[in-house]
Amino acid sequence: MIVVDRLKAIVGAGGWIDDAQSLEPYLTEWRGRYRGRSPLLIAPSSTAEVSASIKVCAEHGVGIVPQGGNTGLCGGAIPDESNEQILLSLNRMNNIRHTDVDDFSMVVDAGCTLQKIQRVAADLDLFFPLSLAAEGSCQIGGNLSTNAGGINVLRYGTARAQVLGLEVVLADGRIIDGLRSLRKDTAGYDLKQIFIGAEGTLGVITAACLKLYPRPKHCNTIFVAIDSAAAAVRLLGRMRALLGESPQAFELISSRAMRIAERYDSTLRNPFDTASDWYVLTTVNFETSALENLLMSEIETNGIIEAIVAKNEAEAEKMWRLRHSISAAQKNEGASIKHDVAVPVSRVGEFIVSVEFGIAEISPRARVVAFGHVGDGNIHLNVSQPKTQSIDLFLEDQSAITDFVYRTVDRFSGTFSAEHGIGIARKEHLQEFRSETELSVMRAIKSSLDPQGIMNPGKVL
Amino acid sequence: MLEIDKLEKILVGLKRVVDYNVRVRVKADASGVETDGVKMSINPFDEIALEEALRIKERGEADEVVVVSMGRTECQQQLRTGLAMGADRAILVESDDEIDSLTGAKILLALVEREHPGLVILGKQAIDNDNNQTGQMLAALWDRPQATFASELTISGDSATVTREVDVGLETIEIDLPAVVTADLRLNEPRYVKLPDIMKAKKKPLDIVPLADLSVAPAPRLTSVEYTAPEQRQKGVIVDDVAGLVAALKEKGLA
Repeated sequence: MIVVDRLKAIVGAGGWIDDAQSLEPYLTEWRGRYRGRSPLLIAPSSTAEVSASIKVCAEHGVGIVPQGGNTGLCGGAIPDESNEQILLSLNRMNNIRHTDVDDFSMVVDAGCTLQKIQRVAADLDLFFPLSLAAEGSCQIGGNLSTNAGGINVLRYGTARAQVLGLEVVLADGRIIDGLRSLRKDTAGYDLKQIFIGAEGTLGVITAACLKLYPRPKHCNTIFVAIDSAAAAVRLLGRMRALLGESPQAFELISSRAMRIAERYDSTLRNPFDTASDWYVLTTVNFETSALENLLMSEIETNGIIEAIVAKNEAEAEKMWRLRHSISAAQKNEGASIKHDVAVPVSRVGEFIVSVEFGIAEISPRARVVAFGHVGDGNIHLNVSQPKTQSIDLFLEDQSAITDFVYRTVDRFSGTFSAEHGIGIARKEHLQEFRSETELSVMRAIKSSLDPQGIMNPGKVL
Repeated sequence: MLEIDKLEKILVGLKRVVDYNVRVRVKADASGVETDGVKMSINPFDEIALEEALRIKERGEADEVVVVSMGRTECQQQLRTGLAMGADRAILVESDDEIDSLTGAKILLALVEREHPGLVILGKQAIDNDNNQTGQMLAALWDRPQATFASELTISGDSATVTREVDVGLETIEIDLPAVVTADLRLNEPRYVKLPDIMKAKKKPLDIVPLADLSVAPAPRLTSVEYTAPEQRQKGVIVDDVAGLVAALKEKGLA
């Protein structure tokens, strides 16, 4: 392919890979669900190189699949099987371009890992709130392209809320240099917003100007054993009523999710002496004693069984490690059908009960593993294979289970795609659960920005 | 059955330090380490010391665990945490001045003379200045045995068997009580504190003793001149082969 040679010349030695063995890790999603083929991976080292590369692809009508840390769950960063799409990795664009303490902002390359950005902010005695289980390897470009959520959405909003400006390379190679750090800017359409959550189908995000926050004071982490998901929602309501916006994260963990995490990593331990049906892990930015008084009154009245207050950061970290390991731990439990759904916060408890009953009717011994960011209504409702059933037999029920979950979500005025995105995994469901009017506007945006359909072809729409 | 002599009392020191997981930052005027708005916790080795004292008490080998701290009034927070873990009462020796290791040891001695504990357990060192000397100084001033860097501790009557982590491995010694033991990392894993225990701890006795009442005059022997952050480590280089390595070492004057 002449395109391949031209692209190699643009990125230079050390900027591309084309042998099958080295390409392998970039062609497979980490859970092993999606595999593609590609003749070439390029890893440009600058925005100019990204632009030149995309121009070449546009000239030849060749598809481009942008990829960050490859930690996705919906196949959005994996090329198709045609062996004709070029992988564009942002790995080599990983510099912090600029920090401005007084402006509470920083400009970063898209290939910076989320953790690196968090650390640079901490070094400035500031705080970057986006936080999720894959933060050690996921990249900010991917986080923005999927409008990632994570644990701090309750207080700080999703990835979208952290963006002040973007630099984007369009499908014809032109560059939008929108790295402004303005909090207010009503000059025309807010273009950055359409690239956030577009999963690379409208252009490639190459850099972002991110919003920083003061470091939260009084960070208290508390593990709560509680008798129902509904009680957890009520607890959150009272915490917000009494402590304002101070709950930073509020995570629900089912007893099964807790057991799976303990089995997966022997250094993780349920901090409570006796097991209960549900747990809440919460980080609250509020003065300790008021918080203790509030929780204590709840223990006496409202379904809280026990609460443990981390007495230092090492304990808090241990508690959060337990929460963060649940996704990875499920890999050990056989096949798992994942649903990343959200419903109105007030209906989380009722919703979980409904789906658990419904799934039990379809696949009686399937193990429902529910956990997630109850503070923003986002529940990861994963269904693990029964211990005594073959994978194939279990997966026969997959579509029935997923259809049931999504129909229930719809009944609760929720969404079938809360934070993982559409990729290729949820394309059909997008067609089913979004109105024709909404879909037609999405198609119009796509065809006007990428008329040739070369940006991450076959994803989302 | 003969009843084994119980220890009447164990004294445990709790120092308030910048939390282990917090990245320490030097104050802008180089006068010290930033503690304003920074998460403060019990020195981790002291928490291990307290856990051990509580286990001894829970085994029925001691009657009372008293936690002690010294410094500003904020140290009460750490003492309350100690009480929530299970200590029976707390003493804060209040002082706004910097307390160095020797002054700290003298203060502990004054408390020992008041309280007559059968055992004093301290952390082997505090993670803020890593001095590793208060326990040893207390034992010398008190003229009682010491067992530092303990990774195992058993009490039998008026003596204790202590496994110590030393440079060559493990050493087991027997000491007469009363004595000073300092706790190393592997002695135990401290317990979590439960909310009801935190609430109960608020009602446990916490005595505040002004330093002046102990007739210990702080005599700081050290003067801090300036605090600076350690120099940033230079990025490493990857050499291609042995010749490259030798050349790089020569260039740095190391070979």
